[in-house]
Amino acid sequence: MDTGVRAESPYEIVTNPGVDEKTLTVNSLRSIFSMRLKTWPDGTKIRVFVLSDDDELHQIFSKEKLNVFPYQLRSTWDRLVFSGTGQAPTKVNSNEEMLAKISSTPGAIGYLWKANINENVNVLEIK
Amino acid sequence: MKMLMCSKLSNRLIGSGLRLIVRVATLSLLFSFSAHAQENTNSKPQPDADNPSIKRPLATELPAPANQPDTPEKKPGFVRSVIDRFRNNDLPGDLQIHGFVTQAYIATSDNNVFGGSDNGGSFGLTEAGLNASIRPLPRLQLSAQVLSRRAGAGNSGTPRLDYAVLDYRLYSQETNQLGIRVGRIKNPFGFYNETRDVAFTRPSILLPQSIYFDRTRNLGLSSDSVQLYSDTAVFDWGTLSTQFGVSLPIVNDKDTESSLLGGVRPGKLEREVGYIGRGIFETNDKRLRLGVSGIWLNTSYDPNHRLGDPIGPGALRFTPVIFSAQYNAERWTLTSEYAIRPFKYNNNFRVPALNGLDFIGESYYFQGEYRFTPKIEGILRYDALFIDRSDRDGSRWAAQNPARHGLEHSRFARDITVGLRWNVTPEFMLRAEFHHVNGTGWLSRLDNPVAKDTEENWNLYGIQASYRF
Repeated sequence: MDTGVRAESPYEIVTNPGVDEKTLTVNSLRSIFSMRLKTWPDGTKIRVFVLSDDDELHQIFSKEKLNVFPYQLRSTWDRLVFSGTGQAPTKVNSNEEMLAKISSTPGAIGYLWKANINENVNVLEIK
Repeated sequence: MKMLMCSKLSNRLIGSGLRLIVRVATLSLLFSFSAHAQENTNSKPQPDADNPSIKRPLATELPAPANQPDTPEKKPGFVRSVIDRFRNNDLPGDLQIHGFVTQAYIATSDNNVFGGSDNGGSFGLTEAGLNASIRPLPRLQLSAQVLSRRAGAGNSGTPRLDYAVLDYRLYSQETNQLGIRVGRIKNPFGFYNETRDVAFTRPSILLPQSIYFDRTRNLGLSSDSVQLYSDTAVFDWGTLSTQFGVSLPIVNDKDTESSLLGGVRPGKLEREVGYIGRGIFETNDKRLRLGVSGIWLNTSYDPNHRLGDPIGPGALRFTPVIFSAQYNAERWTLTSEYAIRPFKYNNNFRVPALNGLDFIGESYYFQGEYRFTPKIEGILRYDALFIDRSDRDGSRWAAQNPARHGLEHSRFARDITVGLRWNVTPEFMLRAEFHHVNGTGWLSRLDNPVAKDTEENWNLYGIQASYRF
């Protein structure tokens, strides 16, 4: 809830406007991006979007928000996909595509530079 | 051993039930490909993704963000665009398709690995896989993978159904999950088994053979089973993920038969009900991972009397336990696994070489990976295997039969591996590695049919290219 720090953060966790959640614990966020938690509390699908492994925002987000290295996320997703026990996040190729996907896909969650955020997405507060 | 025999009847029932489920899972997957046009699982209003009023202004009217690196936009190539089309989340059911193709070139100073590697090297190891998964309901996932592996005499490259799983999430609350899986499921043991055929998920071209035997891989790889799984938050430290399954192993290949029965036999191994379980604790930052896996595998031999089979209808039990530990830092990863592998054969094989065999194998490795840059990684590993831990140099085994003299080295293997990996792009990887091996304990008997021709000290050189999507 330290708004001073949040204001300095140049990016945010964003969701589709249809998602009721306004805040999320860091453990839930990690669970979502580890692709373990698959549904929002109301039972609808969570759909996770990420940028490429070598994208700067992806790397900052992984390390700062999830406290994991991007290569660890990749190993986690690979284990799920190639063992048949889960799915990987959907990769987008640009910040513009991220914004378009989050605003148009029900249940979507992702991250965006503040400068790319507009009223078509909700900003999540991480506790 | 009586238990082994009694379980045969129930096997038949479970077997046919599982086969049906596997078939249904595969069919529903195929169905989803053809029928996704009609499906609509989203009850919430869905804005049109192609609506220019939403999409266009974003690309053209927004000022360039100050914090964003001004690297030029990556232009996806043709293949990329086709793949992206298929992976688009707008597809109903959240269909995902992934796959990989890997080719290795392997040369050895002596002994054959994956074909005629001793004869000037060989391109004998080719691996390819294609998988699809859908989520027709928020709690339901169906997934299947077809795998082709061409590797020496044991694997011809004929595509086979690797997994076909129906996964239903029974309970889900933030960091705690409980679910059930039914079908052909990858066997969860150790850190690498479930994805051992995917080069990107392996630390090296050859996995540590002491634990991830390639010659009995089909036995270890997947089985028809029912599995419960859970994720549980452990205080604020991390997550404990557990899996427990009741399964029928896949024992119908020659490499497995040869390894368990000391040669390819005219009869066949029968499937018996077994159990498999694994627990992995992972800290929240995924730095520390600790695991324990256990398998209770039963199989019995069905002799072919018309072909004058010298072996009787014996049964055997294999009950390995594996301890796994890994530490991940930004630049380096340390991994170690230790396995204890008890084998127990009953007295119905009617041949002294197999009857009443009762021994415990031991395996372990220590491995360090170092990321010089995010693209270049190095690996160093020491891997040791002892077929019978009470006879580590094979001398007692050799003394039992004059024909075994000079083959003591088939009872152990110590492998020092050095390798380099280059992640050219997130989708394309090149790798090279060198092994110096003392012992022939994990060599495939199908690739090395004449035991007397094998050498105790030998080297292996490998290079590999892999593409994934």
